[in-house]
Amino acid sequence: MIFTVVGNYPKIPNAPRPAKLRQAITRFQGGELTQAELARVEGEVTEEVIREQEAVGLDLLTDGHIRWEDPATYFARGIDGFEISGLIRYFDTNVYYRQPVVTRALGWKGPITVKDLQFAKRVTNKPIKAVITGPFTLARMSRNTHYSTLEALVMDLAKILRQEALALQAAGAAWIQFDEPWLVRAKQDFPIVQRAYTVLTEGLTTKQTLLCTYFGDVQGLPPAFFKLPVGGFGLDFVTTTGNFDLLKRQAWPKDKWLAGGIVDARNTRMQNFEELERAFGQLTAVLPAQQLHISPHCGLEFLPREVAYAKLEQMVKSLRQGVPVL
Amino acid sequence: MTTPLLPTTTVGSFPKPEYLLTARTQYARGQITRDQLKRLEQQATTEWIRTQEELGIDILVDGEMYRGDMATYFAENLEGTKISGLVRSYGNRYYRKPVVVGPLRRPRAITVEWFEFVQRQTKKPVKGMLTGPYTMMDWSFDENYPNRRACAIAFAEVIRQEAEDLQRAGAQYIQIDEPAVSVRPEEMDLAIETMGLVTKNLRAKTITHICYGDFEQIYPKLLQIPVDQIDLELANSNFDLLELFKRSPFTKEIGLGVVDVHSHRVESEEFVIAGIRRALKVLKPEQIYVDPDCGLKTRTPQEAIDKLRVIVNATRKVRQELEVAHV
Repeated sequence: MIFTVVGNYPKIPNAPRPAKLRQAITRFQGGELTQAELARVEGEVTEEVIREQEAVGLDLLTDGHIRWEDPATYFARGIDGFEISGLIRYFDTNVYYRQPVVTRALGWKGPITVKDLQFAKRVTNKPIKAVITGPFTLARMSRNTHYSTLEALVMDLAKILRQEALALQAAGAAWIQFDEPWLVRAKQDFPIVQRAYTVLTEGLTTKQTLLCTYFGDVQGLPPAFFKLPVGGFGLDFVTTTGNFDLLKRQAWPKDKWLAGGIVDARNTRMQNFEELERAFGQLTAVLPAQQLHISPHCGLEFLPREVAYAKLEQMVKSLRQGVPVL
Repeated sequence: MTTPLLPTTTVGSFPKPEYLLTARTQYARGQITRDQLKRLEQQATTEWIRTQEELGIDILVDGEMYRGDMATYFAENLEGTKISGLVRSYGNRYYRKPVVVGPLRRPRAITVEWFEFVQRQTKKPVKGMLTGPYTMMDWSFDENYPNRRACAIAFAEVIRQEAEDLQRAGAQYIQIDEPAVSVRPEEMDLAIETMGLVTKNLRAKTITHICYGDFEQIYPKLLQIPVDQIDLELANSNFDLLELFKRSPFTKEIGLGVVDVHSHRVESEEFVIAGIRRALKVLKPEQIYVDPDCGLKTRTPQEAIDKLRVIVNATRKVRQELEVAHV
């Protein structure tokens, strides 16, 4: 069993700890810091959040996505053919992002996140999970003014992000995760996702890949979803009870991992031990622990840093060591 | 004092002057007292009253010099809440989000003193400005109530108390903003239900401001929100929203947003006149109040004043045309 996070980690702590990154970005925008000086602070903060993940006892870490402004623009800025436009709401959250606009045929410019993976690997001996915003979600988060169909855009993104995945594999990512939260709110588009993932994963030899969904359940997707060419699936067990129902109804595919998001990453309320154990028990009832990742149900950036830490600590202590926290 | 045809107004917030921003930082660091800060908040408020009067705006607001965030401000003044650590809203912007930790209760009136402070200084009507229950719920962490509906209903009760106190203090207009309602179309019924709890005993004219949304998803259901007037941002979509009203008539009064609050550029009078004229094709003149798209707090004071001047001048010209036509 692998205790991990879905992706991002809160970028700044609260007083008395200094909000280093916030201050550095303000100074960079005011022309007081160079790009290199900002990058150094981003590195320091990345190391800081890696240490926090180590301290709570996670088995698989991310770099916290400290350098990402959001899941869309970090990739869009690295791909030829995107421009970045105005603020738009991120799903049904209180968070906004700048919407990428597809202005011409997209093209791969080179690795986007490989240097981040390399940095994280230098900082820790723990395995690192690399996260890529999946082609379907990146397409849906963007405004398309070039391609004649959504599918054409998704397929081009799949080709581009495949290069990214291959580069991450070569750079030694322990796991590669494709985030597809948009899939749970546009299930009718599954055939597009299915064709895209054939392209996306072509040539990937690692079996440690995940397609991660959140902000809803995967009920209503065709059975072919669980046959997609990835090593496992990230499912959200917090937003709805739909994925619990699904586990009861159908056998979990023998050869796939389940990454279960059972800790609420969108509310500061702490779940009690019984709540967490009950959720955990429903996962271990249907598949062996060796096939499980356990994590919060989405990235942790919706929470203040200290609450995110407390939730991870509670998750690991309660479920690995059976020590009731709360 | 009677309001003219096409009354001009604003959506709520104005930019804080430099001296007040400095004072707020000093107060946060414990360098000045609450009273010292309040005196400067009053000074800035009075300046904005004079400015609105000089510009010739018909329905005034207090400008929210004493508020930070529109949800956090109310939460700080309620029992059963605390304020979270910083969370990011976008880019390098962070805010403290309200946390509901116990049953919500309003120990005392929150905005009435400010309403009275402003109303004493002007003969023009001043709007009472509140944040709506659905938005308060959606913009808070909830550690107390069993579900979103229960939390929104609890917010509705304390906001109802505040709205009725504003009415008692003489408010003829009470605006209860719900910028969050367009985010989850499936929760429109909850927004309608909870607004009804707030406005059920009000005789004052009630208004709600809604922004940032996919209106195709929530229109015309939006018209079921139990208020007299819905304030919408039209300028930033180049008034295209008006096309929706051709298919399904807008049955309430409208707060017609005619200048974009996110742009530094000051609109021309011609742009605003054209927008109002276009609105008059699908709305009766009596339905229309003219204002900016949203609160002006993110603009510089000068940009805000310039945009307001364009609104007032453009509206006067259209008003004259209408009056001439009427004669």
